[in-house]
Amino acid sequence: MNILTLIVFLPTLGALACLVVPKRYVRGVAVAACLATFLVSLLLFRTFFGGAADSEAVFGSSYGTLQEVFRTPWITSEKLAIEYFVGIDGLGFPLVILTTLVGLLACLASWNFETWKIAKGIRGYFVLFLLLETGMLGVFVSLDFFLFYIFWEVMLLPMYFLIGVWGGPRREYAAIKFFLFTLAGSVLMLVALVVMYFYSDAAIQSAGPDGAPSAYRAAEGFVVQHGTFDLIELATNPTIQNYFASSSTTFLGLRFAPVMFMFLFIGFAIKLPSVPVHTWLPDAHVEAPTPISMILAGVLLKMGGYGFLRLCYPIFPTGADFWAFFLAIVGVVSIIYGALCAMAQTDFKKLVAYSSVSHMGYVLLGLAVMTEAGFQGAMFQMIAHGISSPMCFFLVGVIYERAHHREINRFGGLWITMPKYGTMATIGFFASLGLPGLCGFIGEVWVLLGVFQAGGKFAWAYPVAIVAAFGVVLTAGYILWLIRRVYLGREREQYVDYPDATGRETLILVPMAVLAIALGVLPSQTVFNFTNGTLDLVLSHVTHVIGLFP
Amino acid sequence: MSNVNFLAQVSPWAEIQIGEQLSLFSPMLALVCTMLAIVVCPMIFGRGARVTGAVACLGIIATLILVLRTAGAVADGGLSGLSTDPGAGLLLVDNLSVCFQLILVAFLAGVTWLWWIGRAENERNAPEFFILLIGSALGMALMVSTSNLLMIVVAMETASLPCYAIVGFDKRSKVGAEASLKYVVFGAMCAATMLYGMSLLYGVVGSLNVSTIAAYTVGQLSAGGPSLVLVLGLICFFIGIAFKISAVPFHFWCPDAFEGARTEVTTWLSVVSKAAGLVLLTRLALVFCSAVTGPQAMSVLSPLAWTIGIIATVTCTVGNFSAYRQTSVKRLLAFSSIAHAGYMLMAVAVFVHPDVPGTHLGVTALLAYVVIYMFMNLGAFGITALVEWETGSDKLASFSGLMRRAPGLAIPMIICLVSLVGLPPFAGFIGKWWILVALGSLDSTLGWFLIVVLAVNTLISLYFYMRVVVQMTLRDEREPVLRAPVGGLVLVNVCAVALLVLLFWAAPLKDMTDRFSQHLLRLPVAQVTFEAPPATPVEEVH
Repeated sequence: MNILTLIVFLPTLGALACLVVPKRYVRGVAVAACLATFLVSLLLFRTFFGGAADSEAVFGSSYGTLQEVFRTPWITSEKLAIEYFVGIDGLGFPLVILTTLVGLLACLASWNFETWKIAKGIRGYFVLFLLLETGMLGVFVSLDFFLFYIFWEVMLLPMYFLIGVWGGPRREYAAIKFFLFTLAGSVLMLVALVVMYFYSDAAIQSAGPDGAPSAYRAAEGFVVQHGTFDLIELATNPTIQNYFASSSTTFLGLRFAPVMFMFLFIGFAIKLPSVPVHTWLPDAHVEAPTPISMILAGVLLKMGGYGFLRLCYPIFPTGADFWAFFLAIVGVVSIIYGALCAMAQTDFKKLVAYSSVSHMGYVLLGLAVMTEAGFQGAMFQMIAHGISSPMCFFLVGVIYERAHHREINRFGGLWITMPKYGTMATIGFFASLGLPGLCGFIGEVWVLLGVFQAGGKFAWAYPVAIVAAFGVVLTAGYILWLIRRVYLGREREQYVDYPDATGRETLILVPMAVLAIALGVLPSQTVFNFTNGTLDLVLSHVTHVIGLFP
Repeated sequence: MSNVNFLAQVSPWAEIQIGEQLSLFSPMLALVCTMLAIVVCPMIFGRGARVTGAVACLGIIATLILVLRTAGAVADGGLSGLSTDPGAGLLLVDNLSVCFQLILVAFLAGVTWLWWIGRAENERNAPEFFILLIGSALGMALMVSTSNLLMIVVAMETASLPCYAIVGFDKRSKVGAEASLKYVVFGAMCAATMLYGMSLLYGVVGSLNVSTIAAYTVGQLSAGGPSLVLVLGLICFFIGIAFKISAVPFHFWCPDAFEGARTEVTTWLSVVSKAAGLVLLTRLALVFCSAVTGPQAMSVLSPLAWTIGIIATVTCTVGNFSAYRQTSVKRLLAFSSIAHAGYMLMAVAVFVHPDVPGTHLGVTALLAYVVIYMFMNLGAFGITALVEWETGSDKLASFSGLMRRAPGLAIPMIICLVSLVGLPPFAGFIGKWWILVALGSLDSTLGWFLIVVLAVNTLISLYFYMRVVVQMTLRDEREPVLRAPVGGLVLVNVCAVALLVLLFWAAPLKDMTDRFSQHLLRLPVAQVTFEAPPATPVEEVH
């Protein structure tokens, strides 16, 4: 059995098991399912340590070298071939590991379900949780656009209910807002899905009776006969790429590549989220229960960035070139605006939520400039944020469970009362701040370096880089101010008898803290070695195509 | 070629065994016989509801078997019959009509099941109910099996008149009577308009045969624009059909009739009544397309497609927006059905581009959508009916806390509603997907425009469907647990499971509808006195 299929559907099996086992075992089954998924996903490392350590052997010399591939026809009719096609490369691989890890930790964070304010329907909660995990994993491994879209949408409904049923006081509003925003993005993606298929078909048909030989499946001698949903094929097939990038190809009178890039971009930008379509995020985060916030921040937001890297950039390089300035501006505005908003918050969780907007702005900025360091930094930032933000949300959750409020100004001196928790909190928030030696630093610096690298290419690169660098100061501002108000200062009377982090809480926090440090100290060994090969191939592919169509 | 000019090889009337011809129309005869049996039955066994229901079931099963037999007989080409002129048969049978009849009979069985669960207990007028129900089914079966103006009128009235009566079936129900009256007045007006249009057409063309009319119209177009009378006749004719499929602005009867009627009747009207109109429209459009030839094809067909496309756009947008403020779930679903009629109309709009190998993506998409829509609506209305029978109201409020009160109803309801929105992983998405693919295959501005419309409408519709979901899952008024009959639970859960299965097994459904959209009967164009272009096969159109 294909290992990726196993990873994706293990949580579903767990969900089915949760439906039938007696109520008191549901939690255990869910955690076991998450643990099993995590352990199986660790097996993916075998490719990297199984002798061939250099990146060329794993990632090949052109975009499209995949591992653990499994493809089989799913829905086929005359011309339409929709496949069940999964595989990973340097883009999907780290995110799969991140998802299974955050999934496991979030599942552990749900262990005290009985003590929640809305503690009914434990079975439903864990079933939906596991289905959500299946959806997320599916997005990161599927390489057929149709399949990708299905998994993308599969996540919506569980997430809607997880926020809507088990959330805070304004949960109903937050849940429907999340749903509407995400669906707005995905209907654009649906349009792009259909349009891209028919345009690729037109490209192939114009190529003549021999079809278009596939570049990445050259060894099989594969020739594309019809339009395709294969994301790698769409990106690498010269015939399709020529047609897509050509300025004479139009969609409703507009140039094809920029329009399609925008359609996909909006869909992913909503998920990322970037200003101005970020407004669902603070609401969703504030109302969602702690474990769901962890998932939301740790994994769901990464889907936006992954979507850029998998769809927008490789398939529409000329579109990326067309919009580069716009994307960079959106990225910078997200960084600054998110940071300023975070600074203004008095709600602990909302502050962390806005800091996510700010941090994910770096991802967008790093991608926009299309330089080596920019791409690498964007990917690293996604992973780093995937470690630090669930940690921050969990830290908020821990204190919320004790205090039942999240007003920053009503806290104080918590480090004295809860020394273990305070230490963890410091690591978590400093990681988010981007302190050198912790994970947040590398991503931000790499992105900024990337923007400077683009100085020769884009005239706007230096000013943008300077403004973006100012974001680092703002981040330091709101985080340090937060730490002072919540953890430092004099002990407050109403908090003195709070118990320190329990064993379970420590168990959840320690792995994230360890990773936050490890990523900061050993960025190459933990992330770059696994991602850079593919990222460089994507980038060289992008620049190659842009070079062909100036 | 065999699929198009099939009729050219048909022997004249005298040489075909009348028995053979009748056997192809046996499903309709079976429906008639069932009605007769239901009339006779009370004289022997009394007016018991169960007895009548059982007779109806037997009739439905017999019809189903006969439809399947017919399906085998016409798999490779249609037949027109009951006429001395093979080109102008009053009735015709081909894959399209057979497919619709299959859906019709299956749905008839589903509605009977629903009736059996909820009404059979204290139904006093079962024979009348079934005569009306099966009578309208007969009308719909006829509607899709003809391209003769006279027969279209007869079929549409056979379908409509029982529907008017069945909407107001509960004599003491004021709402039902009002609904029925509105339905009758609106329906009669539209029928009159249609008849008027037909009389104009007959007056101008001198033939009742749609293919002849089409050829005449095309001939006039190529000779410098059709006469006003002809255009007026065609428009009036289409108003009658638009009423049937409740296209905006001929949809006003729909919410009232749906709300006032019994829920099982509403279920019945919401799916097949519209589908029959759509299939009829499909057939007319096909006939029209096969009459168009040569260089002017695009200039004739493109406006036609745009007209249908615009009506579809308006229909689904108005339907979705009107559904927002509804508090009655039946009314909400009524507007939803208007919106879905709009989506299905989009599939009909895909006619500028008749495909070469015989399968027609538009027809395929339409048939697949109707099949999926049948499950979605049977499920959603079935659950509404079960809730209404238990709580006495179909208001949104009576759904509150359903997740706790009856998870066996709430979960399938969520599946049906999300499927109606058109989100994966449920089959509603696949239905929309095939429509999108059909539109994309047009490779024209119209296609891309409708794709965007369909996508945006998905977003618009999310909110009001979710209102029901919110009511079921997030609100709870501490109302008592709701006990639904086992038969009802089975029915709605089968629908929900079918919606899941049809996504993962989308290919078999597609293959089936592909098969049914092959070898469609396109009547050869009879020679008219006007210099009409000769009939040409579709392949040569493009």
